[in-house]
Amino acid sequence: MAEPARKRILVVDDASLVRMYYREALEAAGYEVDEALNGLEAMERLLSAPPALLIVDVNMPQMDGLTFLKVLRRQELPISGTPALVISTEAKPQDREAARAAGANYYLVKPVRPEVLTAYAALLTGRAA
Amino acid sequence: MEFVYRRTGMIFTEAKRYYVERRIADRMEAVGSATFASYFARLRTDQGGEVEQFINAFTVNETYFYREEHQLKCLTTDLLEERVRRRAPSDAVRIWSVPCSTGEEPYSLAIWLLENWRRVDAYEIEIVGSDIDTKALRAAEEGVFGKRALMRLPAELVERYFVPAEDEQWRILDDLRQSVRFSQVNLMDPAQTRPNGRFDVIFCRNVLIYFDDTARRIAAENLYENLAPGGFICLGHTESMSRISPLFEVRRFADAILYQRPIEGSDG
Amino acid sequence: MPLIRKPDAAAPAPETASDLAGASADARWAAARAMTAPGDVDALAKALSHEQNPRVREAILTSLARIGTRQSAGAVAPLIASDDAQLRAGALDALRAMPGAVAELLPALLTDADADVRLLACELARVIPEGAATAMMCDLLDRETEVNVCASAIEVLTEVGSPEALPALERCATRFADPFLTFSARVAAERIGGRR
Repeated sequence: MAEPARKRILVVDDASLVRMYYREALEAAGYEVDEALNGLEAMERLLSAPPALLIVDVNMPQMDGLTFLKVLRRQELPISGTPALVISTEAKPQDREAARAAGANYYLVKPVRPEVLTAYAALLTGRAA
Repeated sequence: MEFVYRRTGMIFTEAKRYYVERRIADRMEAVGSATFASYFARLRTDQGGEVEQFINAFTVNETYFYREEHQLKCLTTDLLEERVRRRAPSDAVRIWSVPCSTGEEPYSLAIWLLENWRRVDAYEIEIVGSDIDTKALRAAEEGVFGKRALMRLPAELVERYFVPAEDEQWRILDDLRQSVRFSQVNLMDPAQTRPNGRFDVIFCRNVLIYFDDTARRIAAENLYENLAPGGFICLGHTESMSRISPLFEVRRFADAILYQRPIEGSDG
Repeated sequence: MPLIRKPDAAAPAPETASDLAGASADARWAAARAMTAPGDVDALAKALSHEQNPRVREAILTSLARIGTRQSAGAVAPLIASDDAQLRAGALDALRAMPGAVAELLPALLTDADADVRLLACELARVIPEGAATAMMCDLLDRETEVNVCASAIEVLTEVGSPEALPALERCATRFADPFLTFSARVAAERIGGRR
Protein backbone atom coordinates (compact mmCIF):
# COMPACT_ATOMS: atom_id res chain seq x y z
CA MET A 1 0.00 0.00 0.00
CA ALA A 2 1.51 3.34 -1.04
CA GLU A 3 2.32 5.75 1.76
CA PRO A 4 0.15 8.85 1.78
CA ALA A 5 1.96 12.05 0.89
CA ARG A 6 3.29 13.89 3.91
CA LYS A 7 1.32 16.94 4.89
CA ARG A 8 3.18 20.18 4.59
CA ILE A 9 3.39 22.73 7.39
CA LEU A 10 4.74 26.23 6.85
CA VAL A 11 6.48 27.63 9.93
CA VAL A 12 6.66 31.41 9.93
CA ASP A 13 8.97 32.82 12.60
CA ASP A 14 11.99 35.10 12.46
CA ALA A 15 13.84 33.12 15.14
CA SER A 16 16.00 30.37 13.65
CA LEU A 17 15.97 28.43 16.91
CA VAL A 18 12.18 28.37 17.03
CA ARG A 19 11.97 27.19 13.43
CA MET A 20 14.54 24.50 14.14
CA TYR A 21 12.74 23.38 17.30
CA TYR A 22 9.38 23.11 15.55
CA ARG A 23 10.94 21.42 12.54
CA GLU A 24 12.41 18.65 14.70
CA ALA A 25 9.14 17.98 16.43
CA LEU A 26 7.02 18.16 13.30
CA GLU A 27 9.31 16.10 11.09
CA ALA A 28 9.47 13.43 13.78
CA ALA A 29 5.68 13.36 13.65
CA GLY A 30 5.76 12.83 9.91
CA TYR A 31 5.16 16.27 8.46
CA GLU A 32 7.01 18.07 5.72
CA VAL A 33 8.20 21.45 6.99
CA ASP A 34 8.79 24.71 5.11
CA GLU A 35 10.07 27.91 6.66
CA ALA A 36 9.65 31.66 6.23
CA LEU A 37 11.21 34.49 8.20
CA ASN A 38 8.42 37.04 7.99
CA GLY A 39 4.90 37.53 6.67
CA LEU A 40 5.92 38.67 3.23
CA GLU A 41 8.21 35.69 2.72
CA ALA A 42 5.41 33.49 4.00
CA MET A 43 3.15 34.78 1.21
CA GLU A 44 5.82 33.86 -1.32
CA ARG A 45 6.23 30.36 0.06
CA LEU A 46 2.50 29.84 0.31
CA LEU A 47 1.99 30.75 -3.30
CA SER A 48 4.75 28.39 -4.40
CA ALA A 49 3.95 25.41 -2.19
CA PRO A 50 0.54 25.50 -0.44
CA PRO A 51 0.72 23.94 3.03
CA ALA A 52 -1.94 22.13 5.02
CA LEU A 53 -1.22 24.30 8.06
CA LEU A 54 0.40 27.61 8.94
CA ILE A 55 2.23 28.09 12.22
CA VAL A 56 2.73 31.81 12.60
CA ASP A 57 4.65 34.01 15.01
CA VAL A 58 3.40 37.53 15.60
CA ASN A 59 6.46 39.74 16.00
CA MET A 60 8.53 39.59 12.81
CA PRO A 61 10.31 42.18 10.67
CA GLN A 62 8.74 43.75 7.56
CA MET A 63 5.40 42.06 7.97
CA ASP A 64 4.10 40.80 11.30
CA GLY A 65 2.08 37.63 11.59
CA LEU A 66 -1.28 39.29 12.11
CA THR A 67 -0.93 41.56 9.10
CA PHE A 68 0.07 38.50 7.09
CA LEU A 69 -3.05 36.63 8.18
CA LYS A 70 -5.29 39.59 7.44
CA VAL A 71 -3.83 39.93 3.95
CA LEU A 72 -4.15 36.20 3.38
CA ARG A 73 -7.75 35.97 4.56
CA ARG A 74 -8.91 38.77 2.31
CA GLN A 75 -7.53 37.24 -0.89
CA GLU A 76 -9.97 35.15 -2.84
CA LEU A 77 -7.68 32.23 -3.41
CA PRO A 78 -7.91 28.59 -2.30
CA ILE A 79 -4.99 29.14 0.06
CA SER A 80 -6.82 31.95 1.85
CA GLY A 81 -8.59 29.46 4.08
CA THR A 82 -5.48 27.58 5.20
CA PRO A 83 -5.74 26.80 8.92
CA ALA A 84 -3.45 28.96 11.04
CA LEU A 85 -2.02 28.34 14.48
CA VAL A 86 -0.57 31.51 15.96
CA ILE A 87 2.19 30.93 18.51
CA SER A 88 3.44 34.09 20.15
CA THR A 89 5.19 35.41 23.22
CA GLU A 90 2.37 37.89 23.75
CA ALA A 91 0.15 36.67 26.56
CA LYS A 92 -2.42 39.37 27.17
CA PRO A 93 -6.11 38.73 26.37
CA GLN A 94 -6.12 41.51 23.79
CA ASP A 95 -3.28 39.79 21.95
CA ARG A 96 -5.31 36.61 21.71
CA GLU A 97 -8.30 38.62 20.54
CA ALA A 98 -6.27 40.44 17.93
CA ALA A 99 -5.06 37.11 16.57
CA ARG A 100 -8.60 35.77 16.36
CA ALA A 101 -9.73 38.91 14.61
CA ALA A 102 -6.89 38.56 12.11
CA GLY A 103 -7.98 35.05 11.24
CA ALA A 104 -6.10 32.69 13.53
CA ASN A 105 -7.78 29.37 14.25
CA TYR A 106 -5.92 28.81 17.49
CA TYR A 107 -3.53 30.78 19.65
CA LEU A 108 -0.75 29.45 21.85
CA VAL A 109 1.75 31.24 24.08
CA LYS A 110 5.45 30.39 23.88
CA PRO A 111 7.26 28.33 24.89
CA VAL A 112 5.31 25.41 23.46
CA ARG A 113 6.15 21.81 24.26
CA PRO A 114 6.74 19.56 21.25
CA GLU A 115 3.88 17.25 22.15
CA VAL A 116 1.47 20.19 22.33
CA LEU A 117 2.68 21.42 18.95
CA THR A 118 2.18 18.07 17.27
CA ALA A 119 -1.23 17.60 18.91
CA TYR A 120 -2.44 20.90 17.47
CA ALA A 121 -0.85 20.08 14.12
CA ALA A 122 -2.78 16.82 14.02
CA LEU A 123 -5.98 18.57 14.99
CA LEU A 124 -5.66 21.30 12.41
CA THR A 125 -4.53 19.10 9.54
CA GLY A 126 -7.35 16.68 10.23
CA ARG A 127 -5.18 13.75 11.14
CA ALA A 128 -5.89 11.24 13.84
CA ALA A 129 -3.74 12.45 16.77
CA MET B 1 23.58 32.97 5.85
CA GLU B 2 20.76 34.61 7.66
CA PHE B 3 22.93 37.61 8.12
CA VAL B 4 23.53 37.76 4.37
CA TYR B 5 19.81 37.55 3.78
CA ARG B 6 19.09 40.18 6.37
CA ARG B 7 21.70 42.55 5.01
CA THR B 8 21.31 42.12 1.29
CA GLY B 9 18.02 40.39 0.65
CA MET B 10 19.76 37.71 -1.39
CA ILE B 11 18.35 34.25 -0.92
CA PHE B 12 20.09 30.99 -1.61
CA THR B 13 18.60 27.56 -1.82
CA GLU B 14 20.18 24.55 -0.19
CA ALA B 15 21.31 23.44 -3.62
CA LYS B 16 23.52 26.49 -3.90
CA ARG B 17 25.28 25.83 -0.62
CA TYR B 18 28.48 24.50 -2.13
CA TYR B 19 28.62 27.46 -4.47
CA VAL B 20 28.13 29.82 -1.55
CA GLU B 21 30.82 28.15 0.54
CA ARG B 22 33.31 28.37 -2.33
CA ARG B 23 32.63 32.09 -2.80
CA ILE B 24 33.12 32.69 0.91
CA ALA B 25 36.38 30.74 0.85
CA ASP B 26 37.51 32.90 -2.08
CA ARG B 27 36.73 36.09 -0.23
CA MET B 28 38.45 34.87 2.92
CA GLU B 29 41.57 34.23 0.94
CA ALA B 30 41.32 37.58 -0.82
CA VAL B 31 41.17 39.51 2.43
CA GLY B 32 43.43 37.24 4.44
CA SER B 33 40.92 36.06 7.02
CA ALA B 34 42.20 32.92 8.69
CA THR B 35 38.94 31.97 10.32
CA PHE B 36 35.34 32.23 9.33
CA ALA B 37 34.69 34.18 12.52
CA SER B 38 37.11 36.92 11.56
CA TYR B 39 35.73 37.07 8.02
CA PHE B 40 32.20 37.26 9.32
CA ALA B 41 33.14 40.09 11.65
CA ARG B 42 34.61 41.90 8.66
CA LEU B 43 31.44 41.38 6.71
CA ARG B 44 29.19 42.53 9.52
CA THR B 45 31.07 45.76 9.98
CA ASP B 46 31.53 46.22 6.24
CA GLN B 47 35.24 46.63 6.73
CA GLY B 48 36.95 47.80 3.57
CA GLY B 49 33.63 47.69 1.76
CA GLU B 50 33.51 43.91 2.11
CA VAL B 51 29.74 43.73 1.72
CA GLU B 52 29.96 45.03 -1.81
CA GLN B 53 32.85 42.70 -2.60
CA PHE B 54 30.86 39.83 -1.20
CA ILE B 55 27.80 40.66 -3.25
CA ASN B 56 29.89 41.09 -6.37
CA ALA B 57 31.29 37.62 -5.84
CA PHE B 58 27.75 36.32 -6.16
CA THR B 59 26.08 38.40 -8.77
CA VAL B 60 26.87 38.00 -12.36
CA ASN B 61 26.96 41.61 -13.34
CA GLU B 62 27.33 40.80 -16.94
CA THR B 63 24.38 42.08 -18.85
CA TYR B 64 23.12 40.64 -22.08
CA PHE B 65 20.00 40.49 -24.21
CA TYR B 66 17.16 38.28 -23.07
CA ARG B 67 18.59 37.81 -19.62
CA GLU B 68 16.13 36.03 -17.28
CA GLU B 69 13.80 35.22 -20.12
CA HIS B 70 11.22 33.75 -17.78
CA GLN B 71 10.51 37.25 -16.50
CA LEU B 72 10.04 38.51 -20.05
CA LYS B 73 7.63 35.67 -20.60
CA CYS B 74 5.72 36.64 -17.50
CA LEU B 75 5.51 40.17 -18.85
CA THR B 76 3.68 39.28 -22.03
CA THR B 77 1.77 36.26 -20.78
CA ASP B 78 0.47 37.70 -17.53
CA LEU B 79 1.47 41.20 -16.53
CA LEU B 80 0.54 43.19 -19.58
CA GLU B 81 -2.64 41.23 -20.10
CA GLU B 82 -3.69 42.23 -16.64
CA ARG B 83 -2.58 45.81 -17.09
CA VAL B 84 -4.52 46.42 -20.30
CA ARG B 85 -7.67 44.63 -19.25
CA ARG B 86 -9.76 47.76 -18.92
CA ARG B 87 -7.60 50.21 -20.78
CA ALA B 88 -8.30 52.40 -23.78
CA PRO B 89 -5.83 51.94 -26.63
CA SER B 90 -4.90 55.58 -26.31
CA ASP B 91 -3.48 54.91 -22.86
CA ALA B 92 0.17 54.05 -23.38
CA VAL B 93 1.74 51.04 -21.72
CA ARG B 94 4.84 52.22 -19.85
CA ILE B 95 7.75 50.04 -18.83
CA TRP B 96 10.83 51.10 -16.90
CA SER B 97 14.21 49.46 -16.85
CA VAL B 98 16.24 50.82 -13.96
CA PRO B 99 19.17 50.47 -13.77
CA CYS B 100 19.48 49.94 -17.51
CA SER B 101 23.28 49.90 -17.67
CA THR B 102 24.38 49.89 -21.32
CA GLY B 103 20.88 49.28 -22.65
CA GLU B 104 20.60 45.52 -23.05
CA GLU B 105 17.55 45.31 -20.83
CA PRO B 106 15.39 48.09 -22.33
CA TYR B 107 16.19 47.01 -25.88
CA SER B 108 15.48 43.40 -24.91
CA LEU B 109 12.10 44.51 -23.67
CA ALA B 110 11.43 46.25 -26.96
CA ILE B 111 12.41 43.27 -29.07
CA TRP B 112 10.62 40.81 -26.86
CA LEU B 113 7.39 42.78 -27.03
CA LEU B 114 7.53 43.15 -30.77
CA GLU B 115 8.15 39.44 -31.14
CA ASN B 116 5.92 38.01 -28.42
CA TRP B 117 3.10 40.27 -27.33
CA ARG B 118 -0.01 39.54 -29.30
CA ARG B 119 -1.43 42.96 -28.56
CA VAL B 120 1.71 44.85 -29.46
CA ASP B 121 0.02 46.70 -32.31
CA ALA B 122 -3.03 47.63 -30.28
CA TYR B 123 -1.25 49.85 -27.79
CA GLU B 124 1.39 52.49 -27.68
CA ILE B 125 4.32 51.26 -25.66
CA GLU B 126 6.76 53.54 -23.97
CA ILE B 127 10.01 52.05 -22.72
CA VAL B 128 12.32 54.09 -20.53
CA GLY B 129 15.83 53.07 -19.51
CA SER B 130 17.53 54.83 -16.60
CA ASP B 131 20.86 54.58 -14.84
CA ILE B 132 23.04 56.60 -12.50
CA ASP B 133 26.03 56.09 -14.78
CA THR B 134 26.08 58.61 -17.61
CA LYS B 135 28.79 56.76 -19.50
CA ALA B 136 26.62 53.67 -19.59
CA LEU B 137 23.69 55.77 -20.76
CA ARG B 138 25.66 57.22 -23.62
CA ALA B 139 26.63 53.72 -24.68
CA ALA B 140 23.00 52.68 -24.44
CA GLU B 141 21.97 55.51 -26.72
CA GLU B 142 24.62 54.44 -29.22
CA GLY B 143 23.07 50.99 -29.24
CA VAL B 144 26.17 49.09 -30.28
CA PHE B 145 26.75 45.62 -28.85
CA GLY B 146 29.27 42.82 -29.09
CA LYS B 147 28.81 39.08 -29.54
CA ARG B 148 28.68 38.32 -25.85
CA ALA B 149 25.74 40.62 -25.29
CA LEU B 150 23.85 39.00 -28.14
CA MET B 151 24.64 35.39 -27.30
CA ARG B 152 21.15 34.53 -26.12
CA LEU B 153 19.39 36.00 -29.10
CA PRO B 154 18.42 33.67 -31.93
CA ALA B 155 20.24 34.53 -35.15
CA GLU B 156 17.04 35.58 -36.87
CA LEU B 157 16.39 38.24 -34.24
CA VAL B 158 19.88 39.63 -34.63
CA GLU B 159 19.24 39.76 -38.38
CA ARG B 160 15.91 41.44 -37.91
CA TYR B 161 16.80 44.11 -35.36
CA PHE B 162 20.48 44.87 -35.79
CA VAL B 163 22.82 45.97 -38.53
CA PRO B 164 26.45 44.92 -38.53
CA ALA B 165 28.91 47.53 -37.31
CA GLU B 166 32.69 47.39 -37.30
CA ASP B 167 34.81 45.12 -35.07
CA GLU B 168 32.33 42.23 -34.86
CA GLN B 169 29.69 44.44 -33.32
CA TRP B 170 26.09 45.03 -34.09
CA ARG B 171 24.07 48.20 -33.92
CA ILE B 172 20.42 48.17 -33.07
CA LEU B 173 18.07 49.49 -35.75
CA ASP B 174 17.60 53.23 -35.66
CA ASP B 175 13.83 52.83 -35.40
CA LEU B 176 14.23 50.86 -32.23
CA ARG B 177 17.09 52.89 -30.89
CA GLN B 178 15.12 56.08 -31.14
CA SER B 179 12.02 54.61 -29.57
CA VAL B 180 13.58 54.03 -26.16
CA ARG B 181 14.12 57.03 -23.92
CA PHE B 182 17.12 57.11 -21.62
CA SER B 183 17.43 59.21 -18.49
CA GLN B 184 19.90 59.62 -15.68
CA VAL B 185 18.46 58.53 -12.38
CA ASN B 186 19.75 58.00 -8.87
CA LEU B 187 17.22 55.63 -7.30
CA MET B 188 17.69 57.31 -3.96
CA ASP B 189 16.59 60.71 -5.15
CA PRO B 190 12.87 61.32 -5.73
CA ALA B 191 13.69 64.52 -7.59
CA GLN B 192 15.32 62.29 -10.20
CA THR B 193 12.90 59.37 -10.12
CA ARG B 194 9.60 61.30 -10.11
CA PRO B 195 9.93 63.05 -13.47
CA ASN B 196 9.92 59.65 -15.16
CA GLY B 197 6.25 59.29 -14.36
CA ARG B 198 4.20 56.23 -13.52
CA PHE B 199 4.76 52.83 -15.00
CA ASP B 200 2.84 49.62 -15.53
CA VAL B 201 5.93 47.48 -15.00
CA ILE B 202 9.31 48.32 -13.50
CA PHE B 203 12.32 46.06 -13.90
CA CYS B 204 14.72 46.81 -11.08
CA ARG B 205 17.16 43.96 -11.02
CA ASN B 206 20.29 43.37 -8.99
CA VAL B 207 20.69 46.81 -7.51
CA LEU B 208 18.67 46.95 -4.31
CA ILE B 209 20.81 44.21 -2.79
CA TYR B 210 23.70 46.65 -2.69
CA PHE B 211 21.85 49.16 -0.55
CA ASP B 212 21.74 49.30 3.22
CA ASP B 213 18.47 49.20 5.16
CA THR B 214 17.62 52.86 5.01
CA ALA B 215 18.63 53.23 1.38
CA ARG B 216 16.49 50.30 0.38
CA ARG B 217 13.48 51.72 2.15
CA ILE B 218 13.92 55.02 0.37
CA ALA B 219 14.47 53.41 -3.02
CA ALA B 220 11.44 51.15 -2.52
CA GLU B 221 9.29 54.15 -1.65
CA ASN B 222 10.53 55.97 -4.74
CA LEU B 223 9.74 52.98 -6.90
CA TYR B 224 6.29 52.78 -5.34
CA GLU B 225 5.63 56.34 -6.44
CA ASN B 226 6.66 55.44 -9.95
CA LEU B 227 4.18 52.61 -10.18
CA ALA B 228 0.62 53.08 -11.33
CA PRO B 229 -1.83 51.46 -8.88
CA GLY B 230 -1.77 47.77 -9.72
CA GLY B 231 1.59 48.17 -11.43
CA PHE B 232 4.29 45.54 -11.04
CA ILE B 233 7.89 45.56 -9.96
CA CYS B 234 10.24 42.81 -10.98
CA LEU B 235 13.47 42.13 -9.07
CA GLY B 236 16.38 39.82 -9.84
CA HIS B 237 15.62 36.16 -9.38
CA THR B 238 17.55 35.81 -6.13
CA GLU B 239 16.05 38.97 -4.69
CA SER B 240 13.02 39.19 -2.50
CA MET B 241 10.98 42.21 -1.48
CA SER B 242 10.41 40.59 1.89
CA ARG B 243 13.65 42.12 3.10
CA ILE B 244 12.97 45.47 1.54
CA SER B 245 9.55 46.89 2.12
CA PRO B 246 6.05 45.99 3.24
CA LEU B 247 4.52 48.39 0.71
CA PHE B 248 4.05 45.79 -2.01
CA GLU B 249 1.83 42.76 -2.40
CA VAL B 250 3.23 39.46 -3.57
CA ARG B 251 1.91 38.05 -6.83
CA ARG B 252 2.88 34.72 -8.16
CA PHE B 253 2.67 33.78 -11.81
CA ALA B 254 3.74 30.69 -13.70
CA ASP B 255 7.09 32.16 -14.62
CA ALA B 256 7.95 34.54 -11.80
CA ILE B 257 7.19 36.03 -8.43
CA LEU B 258 6.58 39.77 -8.59
CA TYR B 259 5.50 42.59 -6.34
CA GLN B 260 2.53 44.80 -6.98
CA ARG B 261 1.45 48.23 -5.85
CA PRO B 262 -2.04 47.74 -4.40
CA ILE B 263 -4.87 48.80 -6.66
CA GLU B 264 -7.19 50.41 -4.17
CA GLY B 265 -5.66 53.59 -2.91
CA SER B 266 -5.61 53.34 0.84
CA ASP B 267 -6.98 56.66 1.80
CA GLY B 268 -7.72 58.74 4.84
CA MET C 1 6.01 50.76 -34.86
CA PRO C 2 4.04 50.65 -31.62
CA LEU C 3 6.98 51.81 -29.55
CA ILE C 4 6.88 55.49 -28.82
CA ARG C 5 9.16 57.91 -27.17
CA LYS C 6 8.08 61.05 -25.43
CA PRO C 7 10.54 63.85 -24.74
CA ASP C 8 9.20 64.39 -21.23
CA ALA C 9 7.50 62.11 -18.77
CA ALA C 10 4.09 61.04 -19.94
CA ALA C 11 2.49 61.53 -16.57
CA PRO C 12 2.74 64.44 -14.15
CA ALA C 13 4.91 64.04 -11.07
CA PRO C 14 2.87 61.76 -8.79
CA GLU C 15 2.66 63.75 -5.58
CA THR C 16 3.15 67.30 -4.49
CA ALA C 17 4.21 67.99 -0.97
CA SER C 18 1.52 68.95 1.43
CA ASP C 19 1.37 68.73 5.20
CA LEU C 20 1.42 65.88 7.63
CA ALA C 21 -2.16 66.56 8.63
CA GLY C 22 -3.39 66.47 5.04
CA ALA C 23 -6.71 64.92 4.24
CA SER C 24 -5.40 62.35 1.79
CA ALA C 25 -2.92 59.58 2.50
CA ASP C 26 -0.98 60.61 -0.60
CA ALA C 27 -0.52 64.14 0.70
CA ARG C 28 0.63 62.93 4.11
CA TRP C 29 2.94 60.42 2.44
CA ALA C 30 4.57 63.13 0.37
CA ALA C 31 4.92 65.38 3.38
CA ALA C 32 6.50 62.66 5.51
CA ARG C 33 8.97 61.77 2.78
CA ALA C 34 10.05 65.37 2.40
CA MET C 35 10.85 65.81 6.10
CA THR C 36 14.40 64.59 6.51
CA ALA C 37 16.08 67.20 8.68
CA PRO C 38 16.96 66.61 12.34
CA GLY C 39 14.64 69.46 13.26
CA ASP C 40 11.72 67.49 11.83
CA VAL C 41 11.85 64.75 14.43
CA ASP C 42 9.24 66.27 16.73
CA ALA C 43 6.73 66.81 13.94
CA LEU C 44 7.29 63.33 12.57
CA ALA C 45 6.97 61.74 16.01
CA LYS C 46 3.74 63.61 16.63
CA ALA C 47 2.31 62.53 13.28
CA LEU C 48 3.34 58.95 13.96
CA SER C 49 1.40 58.84 17.18
CA HIS C 50 -1.92 59.22 15.40
CA GLU C 51 -1.30 58.08 11.84
CA GLN C 52 -3.46 55.06 10.98
CA ASN C 53 -2.54 54.53 7.37
CA PRO C 54 0.18 51.83 7.22
CA ARG C 55 1.85 53.24 4.12
CA VAL C 56 2.13 56.73 5.61
CA ARG C 57 3.42 55.25 8.85
CA GLU C 58 6.14 53.48 6.90
CA ALA C 59 7.12 56.74 5.23
CA ILE C 60 7.29 58.54 8.58
CA LEU C 61 9.42 55.75 10.03
CA THR C 62 11.72 55.82 7.00
CA SER C 63 12.28 59.53 7.48
CA LEU C 64 12.99 59.02 11.18
CA ALA C 65 15.40 56.20 10.33
CA ARG C 66 17.07 58.38 7.79
CA ILE C 67 17.56 61.20 10.28
CA GLY C 68 19.00 58.57 12.58
CA THR C 69 19.83 60.78 15.54
CA ARG C 70 19.56 59.80 19.18
CA GLN C 71 16.42 61.93 19.35
CA SER C 72 14.97 60.22 16.33
CA ALA C 73 15.54 56.75 17.75
CA GLY C 74 14.18 57.96 21.06
CA ALA C 75 10.96 58.97 19.32
CA VAL C 76 10.53 55.54 17.76
CA ALA C 77 11.55 53.34 20.69
CA PRO C 78 8.35 53.73 22.77
CA LEU C 79 6.37 52.19 19.91
CA ILE C 80 7.93 48.83 20.68
CA ALA C 81 5.41 48.67 23.50
CA SER C 82 2.40 49.31 21.24
CA ASP C 83 -0.60 46.98 21.21
CA ASP C 84 -0.54 47.13 17.43
CA ALA C 85 1.63 44.35 15.99
CA GLN C 86 2.21 46.20 12.75
CA LEU C 87 3.36 49.32 14.54
CA ARG C 88 5.73 47.30 16.72
CA ALA C 89 7.24 45.65 13.65
CA GLY C 90 7.56 48.99 11.88
CA ALA C 91 9.25 50.57 14.87
CA LEU C 92 11.77 47.74 15.13
CA ASP C 93 12.55 47.88 11.44
CA ALA C 94 13.23 51.60 11.71
CA LEU C 95 15.42 51.14 14.79
CA ARG C 96 17.37 48.39 13.06
CA ALA C 97 18.28 50.96 10.44
CA MET C 98 19.76 53.25 13.12
CA PRO C 99 22.51 51.13 14.70
CA GLY C 100 24.48 54.04 16.15
CA ALA C 101 21.54 55.55 17.99
CA VAL C 102 20.23 52.16 19.06
CA ALA C 103 23.42 51.31 20.91
CA GLU C 104 22.75 54.16 23.30
CA LEU C 105 19.15 53.21 23.91
CA LEU C 106 19.57 49.50 24.42
CA PRO C 107 20.63 49.38 28.06
CA ALA C 108 17.43 51.11 29.09
CA LEU C 109 15.25 49.02 26.79
CA LEU C 110 16.79 45.80 28.06
CA THR C 111 15.85 46.71 31.62
CA ASP C 112 12.36 47.97 30.84
CA ALA C 113 9.65 46.87 33.26
CA ASP C 114 7.65 45.38 30.40
CA ALA C 115 8.92 41.91 29.45
CA ASP C 116 7.57 42.30 25.93
CA VAL C 117 9.74 45.38 25.45
CA ARG C 118 12.84 43.59 26.77
CA LEU C 119 12.15 40.69 24.45
CA LEU C 120 11.84 42.80 21.31
CA ALA C 121 14.78 44.97 22.33
CA CYS C 122 17.06 41.92 22.23
CA GLU C 123 16.51 41.85 18.48
CA LEU C 124 18.17 45.23 18.23
CA ALA C 125 21.39 43.90 19.69
CA ARG C 126 22.01 42.31 16.30
CA VAL C 127 22.87 45.66 14.77
CA ILE C 128 25.38 46.88 17.34
CA PRO C 129 29.03 45.82 17.47
CA GLU C 130 29.45 42.18 18.43
CA GLY C 131 31.44 42.70 21.60
CA ALA C 132 28.83 45.03 23.06
CA ALA C 133 26.02 42.76 21.89
CA THR C 134 27.52 39.69 23.54
CA ALA C 135 28.12 41.55 26.78
CA MET C 136 24.56 42.91 26.93
CA MET C 137 22.95 39.58 26.10
CA CYS C 138 25.05 37.69 28.67
CA ASP C 139 24.23 40.27 31.28
CA LEU C 140 20.56 39.81 30.50
CA LEU C 141 20.76 36.03 30.66
CA ASP C 142 22.09 36.20 34.19
CA ARG C 143 19.34 38.39 35.61
CA GLU C 144 16.25 37.90 33.41
CA THR C 145 13.17 36.32 34.96
CA GLU C 146 11.13 35.64 31.84
CA VAL C 147 11.95 32.55 29.81
CA ASN C 148 10.87 34.07 26.47
CA VAL C 149 13.14 37.06 26.94
CA CYS C 150 16.06 34.68 27.54
CA ALA C 151 15.08 32.77 24.42
CA SER C 152 15.21 35.99 22.45
CA ALA C 153 18.68 36.80 23.82
CA ILE C 154 19.92 33.31 22.98
CA GLU C 155 18.62 33.67 19.44
CA VAL C 156 20.66 36.83 19.04
CA LEU C 157 23.77 35.20 20.52
CA THR C 158 23.43 32.43 17.97
CA GLU C 159 24.18 35.01 15.31
CA VAL C 160 26.59 37.40 16.99
CA GLY C 161 27.80 35.72 20.16
CA SER C 162 31.45 35.10 20.87
CA PRO C 163 32.83 32.26 23.03
CA GLU C 164 32.66 34.49 26.12
CA ALA C 165 28.94 33.83 26.07
CA LEU C 166 29.20 30.10 26.68
CA PRO C 167 29.19 30.14 30.48
CA ALA C 168 26.20 32.47 30.66
CA LEU C 169 24.31 30.26 28.22
CA GLU C 170 24.88 27.25 30.36
CA ARG C 171 23.90 29.01 33.57
CA CYS C 172 20.67 30.22 32.00
CA ALA C 173 19.65 26.85 30.64
CA THR C 174 20.27 25.27 34.03
CA ARG C 175 18.35 27.97 35.85
CA PHE C 176 15.15 27.52 33.84
CA ALA C 177 15.22 23.84 32.92
CA ASP C 178 12.77 24.59 30.10
CA PRO C 179 12.96 22.21 27.09
CA PHE C 180 13.04 24.97 24.49
CA LEU C 181 15.59 27.01 26.40
CA THR C 182 17.79 23.96 26.91
CA PHE C 183 17.55 23.19 23.21
CA SER C 184 18.31 26.80 22.28
CA ALA C 185 21.30 27.09 24.59
CA ARG C 186 22.73 23.88 23.20
CA VAL C 187 22.39 24.95 19.57
CA ALA C 188 23.71 28.41 20.35
CA ALA C 189 26.74 26.95 22.11
CA GLU C 190 27.43 24.70 19.12
CA ARG C 191 27.23 27.59 16.70
CA ILE C 192 29.34 29.89 18.82
CA GLY C 193 31.87 27.21 19.70
CA GLY C 194 32.35 26.43 16.05
CA ARG C 195 33.17 30.05 15.49
CA ARG C 196 36.45 29.87 17.36
